Order: sequence, then structure tokens, then C-alpha cells
Amino acid sequence: MAQKSNKGDLRLFNRNTFPIGTFFILFFLCSILMSFDYRHQILKKIRIEIPIIIDPINNLINLPINLFLESKDTFISKELLKEKIDRMEETIYSLSIQVQENQLLRSENNILRDILKLKKDFNIIGQTAEIILPEVKNGHSIITINKGFKDNIKEGSAVINNKGLVGQIINTSQRYSEIAPLTSKSYAVPAIKDNGKENVILYGNGNGEMEIPLFPGDTSIKIGDAFITSGVDGLYPKGILIGKVWKIQPTKSPKFNYILVKPFSQPTTFSHITVLNIKK
Amino acid sequence: MIQLTKIHKLKEKKLFLLLFLISLLLSHMNIFGISNPAIMPNYFIALILSFLLANKASLNLFNLVIIGLVIDVLAGNLLGQYGLIFIFIYTLNLITNKILFIKHQSQIIALSIFLIFFSFITLWLTSETFEIFIPFQTLLIQSILTFIAFLFFRVIIIKNIS
Repeated sequence: MAQKSNKGDLRLFNRNTFPIGTFFILFFLCSILMSFDYRHQILKKIRIEIPIIIDPINNLINLPINLFLESKDTFISKELLKEKIDRMEETIYSLSIQVQENQLLRSENNILRDILKLKKDFNIIGQTAEIILPEVKNGHSIITINKGFKDNIKEGSAVINNKGLVGQIINTSQRYSEIAPLTSKSYAVPAIKDNGKENVILYGNGNGEMEIPLFPGDTSIKIGDAFITSGVDGLYPKGILIGKVWKIQPTKSPKFNYILVKPFSQPTTFSHITVLNIKK
Repeated sequence: MIQLTKIHKLKEKKLFLLLFLISLLLSHMNIFGISNPAIMPNYFIALILSFLLANKASLNLFNLVIIGLVIDVLAGNLLGQYGLIFIFIYTLNLITNKILFIKHQSQIIALSIFLIFFSFITLWLTSETFEIFIPFQTLLIQSILTFIAFLFFRVIIIKNIS
């Protein structure tokens, strides 16, 4: 009986194994997926719809530190707790005096604003959350917080702490949210000098600082000048501290300077931040 | 003999899955508390490259695209980005192996360095921030760290699957 043979298989050096067709099909598939995702934010929707994707990783990363904190709380002595309570009571007392002073200033401010017919827009309303791990995600700097859309955290909200602006919410899942720090490359915020004169846009440079690539050379600016949010975008309330100038460099054009701004807020893991509510 | 091959392949796949999970966890952590994301290896590129160059875990174009999509969903920024990088790596490796006879250890290491550089350039070119001009220092640091991660994975593969 004659044996069936395949000519291709009998060659000593089979050179027809390069999957050029498959490569091009998959190349186009990946390119289409990337452009679709960029336009329609599919990845964000997947992560929001399926919290099981992100939550276990975050839980696992935070597990050792959570266990440590829990065990630390369990074994804390009575004296230490008493000392802590005393210190907190002192802080509450001093803060309550400050609140009284602030209330007086607020009412004075309201009267003056009414006289000057200025629009009142100073209420900062938000919710507090804690920064947890991870602080990097596959080569990108992020800030993760322990509250998600379950706690009414919305994508795009501004985030601040007691020192100033921290960043903006970029991803939310059921229990966690991710913040783009104000120094990340994808970040920009409209700002104004604290004397209320120069309107600029500050960009994150991805290196722990913010920059103004082209600042008019004839405008007065010196090292140590502070920038605050201008509030023109309607997202950030006016007057939140951003950072101070720490380097002024000349550019190729004599008409402009390159300004580097160091942010006031340096949020660390397990510190608190406030996520501001988006105004409707 | 067939049974033995099946057992070997299963072992390879198990090791791949284990190293994948480790890479996933490591990609969410800083090394030695350094919070600068530029000083961080790309564990996924190192993992795929180590298995591809060792010719283990039966990686093909389809598998690589699926693995890439999983990475994008778990730790990526853009859907399809890692799939694209992996199919480029696979194809370049295939072409190089067709042109040159790569068997010696130093040849494999040279090829891995070239592929790491190439994959980083692809990663940066397809990033959302449109960074076409890469700071050479960052590229160098990330490539060196990824190469070290690649060597670690390679040692693990050689030790466990011989």
C-alpha cells in the first residue's frame, strides 16, 4: 500500500514556517484595539465593570502592612493609648479655637463680599480617604486610595491635602481609586501667581516637579514665588496651593523663560487626602 | 515518550503561570522603596523574553496576544499595547533565528539586550503621552533593570525545566 506523503514535511530545511499572515492580522487587531481604547476608554470601563480584576491585587499588596498595623493596635499599651488620647484632645481644643476664629473671619468675609458684590465660591466639600499601596503600577507613578465609586468617588475629581493640590482621580473601582499625581506627565492645571496677576498652565514633568515651558521673559518672577489654582477650569476651586518656583532657566528664545515649580504637597503612603466633589 | 513530553509541557506552563503572578505583584511594588517609576524593570517583557528565548511554554503569536491583553487589563494603560510588543518580539526573534544560527549563550544574551531595547522603544512610541523622544538615561536604566530581571527568570527556567 502506498504511503501518503506531504511534500512540505519532507524538506530538509522547511522555510515556509514564518507566520507573516498571522503577524499582520494580529498587528492590525492590536492597533485597532489600541485606537478604540484610546478613543472610547474601554480599559477603564472593563476595570469598573469587573472589580475582581484590580481588587485582589490591591488587597494582596496591602495585606502585610494591614496585618502589621492590626497587630500593632492589638499590642499597644494602655499608657501609650492614654498619651495618644491626651494629645488628640489638646489638638481638638486648639482646632476648636481656630474654628471660632475662622467662623468670625468667614462672616466678615461674607459681609465684605456682599458689599463688593463678589460671587461666593469658597466652599471646599469633599471626602477624606487614605493613601494605600501600590504607588507604582508597571512603571507609572500613581497614588491609590482606599475609596472607590461605592463611596461616591467620581473620575475627574480634584484631590487635595493639608499642604495643597495632590492630583486628579483617573480610575475608580468599587473599593479603590487611582490618582494621577500633579507631577505626572499627563497632568496640567490652570494656575495663578499668589499675587493674583499671572495666569499660567502648569504641566507635570514626570520627574517630581511641574513646569511652565514658556513663561514671558518680561514678567517679574523670582525663586520662591508661589502658584495657586486659578479656578478658571471650574474643576479646581480657586486658591488651592500648588507649588513654588525653584528654578528659572532661559530658553532659546530671549522672550521666554523655562520655570520649574516644586509642589507643596508630597503625599506619602498611609497619609490622608480629600477628594473634592465635582460641581454640577 | 509522549506522556513525558506532556508532563514537561504542563510543568512549563505551570512555571509560566507562577512567574506571571509574581511579575504581576512585583510590577505593583517599588524596589528597595524607590518611588521613582523610571527606576523599575518591566517584569512582563523580561518574563516573555526569557520563555521565548528558552523556547518553553509553547508560546506562539496567538498566545502572546492573549497574554498581552491580560497584562493590559491587569496592569497596562492601553488595551492591545503589550500584545503588540510581544508579537514584535516574537517576530524579531523568529527572523533573527532564521538569518543567524543562535545557539551560544553570549549570542542569546546579545539578542535579549537587542529585544529589550526594541520592546522599550515600542512601549514608549505607543504610550498615551506620545513620547517619541526617549530620554536615553531612562531607557538605559530601565533596560538594564529589565535585563537583570530577564537573567533571574532565565536562571529559574533553567533550574526548573531542564
